[in-house]
Amino acid sequence: MDEQTRQATRQWTLAMPVVSAFVTSAVRDFSARDDVLQEIAIAVIEAFPRYDSSRPFIGWALGIARNQVGLYLRRQRRDRLVFDEYVLVNVASAFEQVTSEESHRLDVLSDCLRSLEGRAKELCALRYQEDLKPAAIAERIGMSANSVAKALQRIRDQLRECIERKAACEGVT
Amino acid sequence: MSLDPQSLINGYLDETLSPEEHAALQEWLQAAPENARHFAAASLLHDRLRTEFSVLNHIGDDDRDDLSLPLTMDSKSQADAAFQPSKTAPKVRSYRLVMMSLTTAMLLVVAVIWKGFGVTPAAAATTEINRIIAATTHAPDQTYHIAVEETGAISSRELGDDAPERQRPPKPPLTDATLHVRAGGQFVLIRQTNDGRRFTTGSNGRESWAIKPDGSVRVSSDLNEFNRDVPGHEHSMPLIHIEDGLGRLLEAYEVRLLPIETADDAAAESVIASSEATRLIVAVKKRQYRGPKRVEISYSVKSGLIQQMRFIEMPYGPERLTLRMTLQSQRPLGERFFEPTSHAEPSKAME
Repeated sequence: MDEQTRQATRQWTLAMPVVSAFVTSAVRDFSARDDVLQEIAIAVIEAFPRYDSSRPFIGWALGIARNQVGLYLRRQRRDRLVFDEYVLVNVASAFEQVTSEESHRLDVLSDCLRSLEGRAKELCALRYQEDLKPAAIAERIGMSANSVAKALQRIRDQLRECIERKAACEGVT
Repeated sequence: MSLDPQSLINGYLDETLSPEEHAALQEWLQAAPENARHFAAASLLHDRLRTEFSVLNHIGDDDRDDLSLPLTMDSKSQADAAFQPSKTAPKVRSYRLVMMSLTTAMLLVVAVIWKGFGVTPAAAATTEINRIIAATTHAPDQTYHIAVEETGAISSRELGDDAPERQRPPKPPLTDATLHVRAGGQFVLIRQTNDGRRFTTGSNGRESWAIKPDGSVRVSSDLNEFNRDVPGHEHSMPLIHIEDGLGRLLEAYEVRLLPIETADDAAAESVIASSEATRLIVAVKKRQYRGPKRVEISYSVKSGLIQQMRFIEMPYGPERLTLRMTLQSQRPLGERFFEPTSHAEPSKAME
């Protein structure tokens, strides 16, 4: 591997969690996220010789991500509710400001997940492992879709609190 | 309908929002930068949850029992792990290690293809189009002059005598039209009718509007309301959304980046280094798609910005045009330039 490819890979590795979250926020479907992320990785390595290293890599990679997301959404012919272009620009800008500390804070998530029990654990697995939407989960476990959506919201709130608590204990701001 | 921001965010990520709630979320995101940052934080957690759970799909059943082992690594270790041989053989790998190996493998394959075997003309053109899209998106407002080079009628056999294009009133001519565009779908297109009066259509990204030759102003929340007679709209290649049009090229056209014709590689490098150098991308429509037969894009090698576009045999109502759009200027046109009030006579009421 030459030095330039090594640099590109290293930078991309560090930026990927934030870029991935941005893509998820725009396309939502997780398998689509994986496809788009792959396109972005290819575009990043192809365009890396033109990257101006005096500027933050994350902003540059998010610019590429925004283009790839745009292409994906256009291919989908907007058959679902998606963000307007100007909203997407704002959202990408917000992701650009995510600090490495904020991203790093989520490293304790796996610990927090272990504290989930029973129905909460099951709902999370159905949503995030099997990639089911609330309506499909509701059918599977005999709850209403609305109850599933609210339960997922509560679980995420609970996980967020757990992350904040653990981060505070570990001194991560 | 829930209008609590946190519920809207959760509903959006789970794809349970109604169109009204979706609109409310977009409005909230635009209201303050902190709101967008709050949304980004929620999306980070949502995305990481998926990634954490996907680890379970990558490790064996025996390993799942070992989930009490630490699953995470710090960020520096993640990057280093991509290049270091593993000193141990842990049964449980973090999701990042899984993703790192996939990412590294993918990047290596790309790097080998890119550097070792050269780049196909189509791949090079795709890369350049992506660069042009990025440059256009981040560029200041652009103003283009539109010139019609050729006009021809579409044959009755091809269009059909009953085609809607034949029933509609004639579209305003595009000759010497001026198009101003800004990222985010904002545009102002100024055309002259045959009797010399001005017909202006536009959008500020939130509403579309038209100022008819008699001066009357119509505004609509439907962004496509006044786009229908803009060339390219019916073929998803709207001139007013250059980024969309370029994206469409990648899907519906065979795209080629023409080589710079010089005596040798050193001369080509010298041309590329020049700030004035332009290069040409030629796109030829695939048989199964509609739209202009051929599109030519001349762009600055250095900045990636479009200098000129030619649309050859572009359907426009019952006609087929060959038209040329030439960049006139790039500069901020002012905050309110894309509002109808900047172009309408003050005395005219908005409908």
